[in-house]
Amino acid sequence: MRSLVAMIVAGLVLLWQPPVRAAGNVVIGVADTLTGFDVHTISDTLSQSAARMMLQGLFGFDSDLKPVPVLAESYEANSEATEFTFYLRKGVRFHDGTPFNAEAVRINFERLVNPENRLSRASLLSMARSFTVVDEFTLRISLKTPFAALINTLAHPGTMIHSPAALARHGRDVMRHPVGTGPFRFAEWQADRLKVVRNEHYWKPGLPKVDSITLRSVPENGSRLAMLLAGEAHAIAPLPPEQVSVAEANPAIDVVRRPSIVTWYMAMNTRKAPFNDVRVRQALNLAVDKQAYRQVVWNGFAAPLTAPVPPGLPMHAEQQPWPYDPERARALLGQAGYPNGFSVELMGAGNTLARRAMQFLQQQLAAVGVQVRITPLDAGMIAERIWRVADPAAATIELFYAGWSASTGDPDWQLRPLFFGPSAPPALNNVAYYSNPAVDAAIMAGLSTIDPQRRAEAYRVAQEIIWTEAPWVFLGVETLLAGKAKSVAGLHYLPDRSLSLDEVELK
Amino acid sequence: MLSLVRRLTGLVPVLVAATLVVFLFLRLLPGDPARLIAGSEASAADVAALRADMGLDRPIWQQYGSFLMRAVQGDFGLSLRTRRPVVEEVRARLSSSLLLATAAAGWAVVAGVALGAWTVAHRGGRIDLAGRLVAVAGVAMPSFWLGLLLIDVFAVRLGWLPTGGGGSFSHLVLPAIALGTAMAATLARVTRAAMIEVLGEDFVRTARAKGLGEPIVLWRHVLRVALAPVVTLAGVQFGSLLGGAVVVETVFAWPGLGRLLAESVAMRDYPVIQAILLVYVLCFALVNLCVDLAYGMIDPKVRTS
Repeated sequence: MRSLVAMIVAGLVLLWQPPVRAAGNVVIGVADTLTGFDVHTISDTLSQSAARMMLQGLFGFDSDLKPVPVLAESYEANSEATEFTFYLRKGVRFHDGTPFNAEAVRINFERLVNPENRLSRASLLSMARSFTVVDEFTLRISLKTPFAALINTLAHPGTMIHSPAALARHGRDVMRHPVGTGPFRFAEWQADRLKVVRNEHYWKPGLPKVDSITLRSVPENGSRLAMLLAGEAHAIAPLPPEQVSVAEANPAIDVVRRPSIVTWYMAMNTRKAPFNDVRVRQALNLAVDKQAYRQVVWNGFAAPLTAPVPPGLPMHAEQQPWPYDPERARALLGQAGYPNGFSVELMGAGNTLARRAMQFLQQQLAAVGVQVRITPLDAGMIAERIWRVADPAAATIELFYAGWSASTGDPDWQLRPLFFGPSAPPALNNVAYYSNPAVDAAIMAGLSTIDPQRRAEAYRVAQEIIWTEAPWVFLGVETLLAGKAKSVAGLHYLPDRSLSLDEVELK
Repeated sequence: MLSLVRRLTGLVPVLVAATLVVFLFLRLLPGDPARLIAGSEASAADVAALRADMGLDRPIWQQYGSFLMRAVQGDFGLSLRTRRPVVEEVRARLSSSLLLATAAAGWAVVAGVALGAWTVAHRGGRIDLAGRLVAVAGVAMPSFWLGLLLIDVFAVRLGWLPTGGGGSFSHLVLPAIALGTAMAATLARVTRAAMIEVLGEDFVRTARAKGLGEPIVLWRHVLRVALAPVVTLAGVQFGSLLGGAVVVETVFAWPGLGRLLAESVAMRDYPVIQAILLVYVLCFALVNLCVDLAYGMIDPKVRTS
């Protein structure tokens, strides 16, 4: 028996591999699992961030989510926003050695919009009429309808460019054979990790600054933090609000705090009583203490939401805040014919943060006589209750707690999916079934000109009406949190929750 | 031999019935995979395109028919979520789940039997009491809590082992301990009870009368006889280690089958769920078969024809 124990111990010692961290190889712990890298069809922010290390678009985002030229050097547009000409970067090669040019862009965009390809990001360019190769490095896009947000759309990960040779060779399998022009080349993708390695021939001088980047999926919050504390990961994102103090106590670790455009709200179904009465919707806005919401739900890691378009997006038009005034809320409810309040269902996701938020809202609304039943559901059940409903009159949604981030960085992608009449489910995300012809007209006007001042004016009008008519209880804007070793620089957490890793370096 | 062949062919209708039940029940589950995978940013047209691409717009009997036809040839289609062949996804995860379950069971048997026998050797004393307390604690402690504790001590504070992930032997140690501890505790208690029962047998008195020392009596004679129920229990529990490791897999970011199943259910990734459930059905059927055969070897009365 004793010799057996000795043998086992000896075996363990021989097989010992202490955790190693090689220089220049960056490891980042993330919460979700990667789903693939065919950017024309994937939809989750993490996979899109991962793909962005390898693939690039005509435009990209800087760390404030402003569009910047990447594979395009410049562009011209007519004033009606229906025709755009792009002058492309010369001398760029894909990882497989084939050249990047206007033809490559045309092939990619035509692949994306062709209905036969059934790609789920197709609607990004559904307004396009044609893609014309003018010369080797000039491409013209003509649109069926004016679309002033085109540059932001071309900065969205869904319009990034695959190598046409890879598309021809792998077809749909580019999902796991991504070949682009980015600073990193695809190395391997396993169940729980993606590894990309340095592109030696990257077109931007001085980049990349590390040999490889590995993304590791660690779903459990505590384990992900442990990974950072143990030095196995150089950075982790996200960092849950309740772990900030633990991470900060460690002298080798920085907590990254990032103001974001992730907007949290409680939508009210404006087609159904009692929320078809604007006074009821205003009363609920008065009944919720937003500062307490930020403190209780987010441990203070949230900012005020001061307009339907959050402060981090362009053309945000700040509004007079809805004060916390339960007295006035009760009076308004009385005027609307609900002196004793009413009973209502609040639906939302089942995770810890969403449950905490819904319980908070339940308590706040109880104080003005509104009895809230909380229904936490998994994503599948939520999809069933929201998007299976074809007829707005048949919708059973009353209150819905959710978040949104406009991943194109343009206010159009905030206002149109959420407040535009025709965007009610199943079309898009207007879960409040809000419909106001003046708002719809302003949203269309904002898309129909490239003049930034006229756009801002149209969106100002829309925001003012939406704020007053209050189809939502406007709750707050999340502050993004990440943890990183002090030795890591150049890691950008973008306001829409995506990660930009092109410039990562180890000091 | 003939009966073994007959038993194996008997599995075929069980598996076909299982595919039908799994297939239909999954479709009854609310939630549209196309909408979930396309994401909340997708337009209705995008979702419809994806649904058609996944083949989910066809009548359900047609979907089932083509699923069964391809499954017979070992093709379980593509994952809706990653578009990778399901067989590839499941194969990689199954082998890491088997590895973890085997390691956990190995740890559980060694630790459980050793602890059980040790308490018997010191029965009635303080060591006995302490050992029994440890065993109760081991059963009572939730595996995710034990897992986080192990990570904190051995990975964060001491830095001896990695916090999680797969890849090398050192990655296996902590999850195997976390997963196997409850089983180890159960086995310790079973070992103790079985050994105390055996201690009352005549042959033990004979051994002692021959003048054998107490350690030899206990470790050589009593333990060997008492091991039979322990081995049976360990075999039965192995199945639940394989299927029930979701929590430990999540805490240790272990790329196993349980986590894949949980993620696939969340996204309603039908082909992957179907394949994993079939793997589980097959495993349980095979384990039952093995148990029956083992009984036949132990007890001639059970042997048929």
